[in-house]
Amino acid sequence: MSVSTRRRRYAAVALATVAALATTTACGDDNEGGSSDGAKPEKLVVDTFGEAGYEDLVKQYEQQTGIKIELRKVAQLNEFRPRVVRSLATGKGAADVIMLEEGILNEFKLNPGNWVDLAPLVGDLSKDYLSWKYELGKAPDGRLMGLPTDVGGLGLCYRTDLFKDAGLPTGRDEVSALWPTWEKFIETGQKYKQATGKGFVDSVTTAVNAVLFQQNGGDLFYDKDDNLIADKSPAVKAAWDQAVAIADAGISAKITTWSPEWNAGFKQGTFAVNACPSWMLGIVESNSGPENAGKWDLAAVPGGAGNWGGSWLGVPTQSKHQAEAAKLAAFLTNTAGQVAAFKKSGPLPTNLKALEDPSFQSFTNKYFSDAPTGKIFGEGVQKIVPTHLGPKHQAVKENALEPALRAYESGQANAAKAWEQFTKDAATQGAF
Amino acid sequence: MSLSATTAPPSRGAPTKHTQPRRRRGYSRFTKLDMKYSPYLYVAPFFVLFGIFGLYPMLWTLWMSLHDWDLVGTHTFIGLENYSALLSDDYFWNAVRNTFGMFVLATVPQLALALFLANLLNRPMLRARTFFRMAIFVPNVVSVAAVAIVFGMLFQRDFGVVNWFLGIFGVDAIDWRREWWSSWIAISTMVDWRWTGYNTLILLAGMQAIPRDLYEAAAMDGAGPWRQFWTVTLPMLRPTFVFVVILSTIGGLQLFVEPLIFNNGNIMGGTQREFQTVQMYMFENSIHNLSRAGYGAAVAWALFLMIVVVSVLNFVITRRSVK
Amino acid sequence: MTTISTGSKRLWRTSPLTYIALILAVLSSIYPLYYMFVIATRRNDAINDTPPPFTPSSLFGDNINRALDNDTANLLQGIVNSVIVASVVTASVVLTGSLAGFAFAKLKFRGRNGLMLAVVATMMVPTQLGIIPLWGLMQDIGWYDSLLAVTVPFLASAFGVFMMRQYASSAVSDELIEAARIDGCSTWRIYWNVVLPALRPAAAVLGLLTFMQTWNEFVWPFAILSSDNPTLQVSLSTLSYAYYTDYSMVFAATAVGTVPLIVVFILFGRQIIGGIMEGAVKA
Repeated sequence: MSVSTRRRRYAAVALATVAALATTTACGDDNEGGSSDGAKPEKLVVDTFGEAGYEDLVKQYEQQTGIKIELRKVAQLNEFRPRVVRSLATGKGAADVIMLEEGILNEFKLNPGNWVDLAPLVGDLSKDYLSWKYELGKAPDGRLMGLPTDVGGLGLCYRTDLFKDAGLPTGRDEVSALWPTWEKFIETGQKYKQATGKGFVDSVTTAVNAVLFQQNGGDLFYDKDDNLIADKSPAVKAAWDQAVAIADAGISAKITTWSPEWNAGFKQGTFAVNACPSWMLGIVESNSGPENAGKWDLAAVPGGAGNWGGSWLGVPTQSKHQAEAAKLAAFLTNTAGQVAAFKKSGPLPTNLKALEDPSFQSFTNKYFSDAPTGKIFGEGVQKIVPTHLGPKHQAVKENALEPALRAYESGQANAAKAWEQFTKDAATQGAF
Repeated sequence: MSLSATTAPPSRGAPTKHTQPRRRRGYSRFTKLDMKYSPYLYVAPFFVLFGIFGLYPMLWTLWMSLHDWDLVGTHTFIGLENYSALLSDDYFWNAVRNTFGMFVLATVPQLALALFLANLLNRPMLRARTFFRMAIFVPNVVSVAAVAIVFGMLFQRDFGVVNWFLGIFGVDAIDWRREWWSSWIAISTMVDWRWTGYNTLILLAGMQAIPRDLYEAAAMDGAGPWRQFWTVTLPMLRPTFVFVVILSTIGGLQLFVEPLIFNNGNIMGGTQREFQTVQMYMFENSIHNLSRAGYGAAVAWALFLMIVVVSVLNFVITRRSVK
Repeated sequence: MTTISTGSKRLWRTSPLTYIALILAVLSSIYPLYYMFVIATRRNDAINDTPPPFTPSSLFGDNINRALDNDTANLLQGIVNSVIVASVVTASVVLTGSLAGFAFAKLKFRGRNGLMLAVVATMMVPTQLGIIPLWGLMQDIGWYDSLLAVTVPFLASAFGVFMMRQYASSAVSDELIEAARIDGCSTWRIYWNVVLPALRPAAAVLGLLTFMQTWNEFVWPFAILSSDNPTLQVSLSTLSYAYYTDYSMVFAATAVGTVPLIVVFILFGRQIIGGIMEGAVKA
């Protein structure tokens, strides 16, 4: 508080000299006030996107420590990223703890100085997490930028009631058996479409994400040296072709993810299937509302395991309470924290003890027809092979790949034109 | 652009200013100083504020536009390269086309409707006049953000009120965000909803300043209401009309919030940028992609030049055609 | 004489068609607002009902409480901030506008016409032209996330100067000023005692228009303020982004943010409307 008033007074004085101020508007690292003073802070701010499942944990932490925690949520990663970038650029406005998704983490690794090295503050936790996940949290200069939260083990959410109406099986094992491959998935979708006349899957873009992240270990938009290879990456092309096949089959409801139609679609049953990395469960639940409890269930994704998304918690150097923020980050990602978050909203643990925790393994998600989500996702987690994502992965995916596919899906562009649009945009969006 | 452009309609019958010879008197030294310098003091606040927060950033934008400028990194001077890149940038021209398209689509019906409503409101025997005027003006009170959120829901594909209404007449559900024409219509509707009332009142004011005897004379010549509208109202309204057109132009070419919120905050405006405006393109290349700020600055200046050119053109054309 | 007046009466007769057209216009003006209000009083599902609901229900209190309870959006703080910012900006725009308008209309000084032309020309500058450097400037002087950033740059407006000049040139007579001068009044006293009272009606209109505009300002506050210290419009956008499904809450908050303006407008509407018309005629 006092700092901001001081700043304001300083600012008023500065106004007089503003006209003469021909200083650069570039925004170097602003480290002032970044020192951690050890005094107990009144409040810590946590920035998350989607549904991280931290609501109860944060209250618990407040009671334990007496520190007030403000949990800020943004629905879309695409909305979240520019805010974080901006606050880093201005040196102001960042939260004390920030959730960093794998698609944006690498962009922030370009300027590691913006992030506190957590290792000295929380001690050596490298044995606590999936080792590849822990290692990915390190910047090139070796500092630990983030503590692992979750991985995005893949599943498909489906509406049992709609499946029943369409004459399809409803049990999760039978449903999983319907689509060992994407081709079978399309066939099932066409049956559904014939029976109901409605879209089967929400959009091709969720499908393309699923396929994209099944390319375990392969390069996506960038190669290992961070060269942009979006236009010639086999993994991208494979995902693209699969998405095109789904669009051609006409089984998509053609709804843009995160749009009002998408939100409404969950409640109204505009589509029956939705790609569900574990963290999506909380979003499906909050979008569908309590009135649809027990109507969703979870099945295996066609074509094998994959990992879409997953995050880390980092502390920016502009935080005035770095040590306390690091403690909070450690609390949210420790065994109990990850199990609790999983139960609340679905993000799949990366903490090894959490993965072995009986209450995780035996957890059944009431909202999703008591699906044993702990078992389903937990089994796949050990098999995940990390995929290298380049610095602007998220921008390329959301601003180049997905719009081009949507254009194809809606018939605005033919396949060649849409691919052209993608590669052109990828070049702009992917430059760094 | 001359001063008379926007100050066009002189109030009729107002006394001509400054015709009196300046009286010379023996004022005190203080009074002389006061008279000489205080006017500058009085106009200073505007110019100081504009200088700092308007002109300085404007010139700085110009400077940035000559660089490859990364807001979080380095910048190198590249001369006019950003501008030449702009000329061959499809997305920029797409944004220009969208901006003008939506500007025309919004402004033409809006002004026609405003003219029509103003003409109705101008009937002297009209009852509940104040009520009508206020009710028509009300949308202008609502914030753009609120308008965009509400209309975003009205124009939903699956459960939107507009599609429901069209459905009554057997029209299939339209995916308003999908095609350029449908998105343009939806966005123009938002603009029109918010601004038609405002323009109606300004035009109405202009109409009320037209001397009644002109109409009576026309009526004596046997002109009916619509003929009178064409022969008396429109020509006399010209200066006000120019004013309204220029205001709409400046606003219309800066269209930003409506298309942004319409697409759920996505700066690209549609999967193929169907409704991305120049202003949005500028933001995409600055605040959203900080490393392209120099290019964004060039877009900003291009937009400014467009506004100047169009305003002048507007002024010339409107002045000549509405005679 | 009589023939003319009966003729003109017939001429100006208002047909039922006129009323029908006007009523249609009023309905389309009001409906989106009404729709917002109806949704704000219902459960969130109502947004997807077809046909849409046409009557309000009773849940407005619940919905608005949810919005107020939202820690991230800081709605109350947003309202308070908006009141502060809009009031300060309004007072200042009226003051600086009337001062400069008076100077341009009634005082003689070298460069007057050139400067007035400059004022008008600045109205053409798109507000967003300098937004990137301005944004940088604000962080340099430490105003990022400060109300100063959304207040100070707007303390004087070209439109205000322009409007007050137009009004002052006809509403204040030269003789009056000259007489005050002879009585020994300083320019400031003339402004304060003679000019400002005469400008009151126009000042009221300018004030209300400025208040509305500042209250509704979105792009710049959104770029420079965080949700920690928002104006109302920033709060609203936080609500609609963070809790994307809860439209009844978002609409309830939006209604709360709009109602004060509508009340002000209904109370002072005649004056605003009169003033806009006045300004336009003189413009």
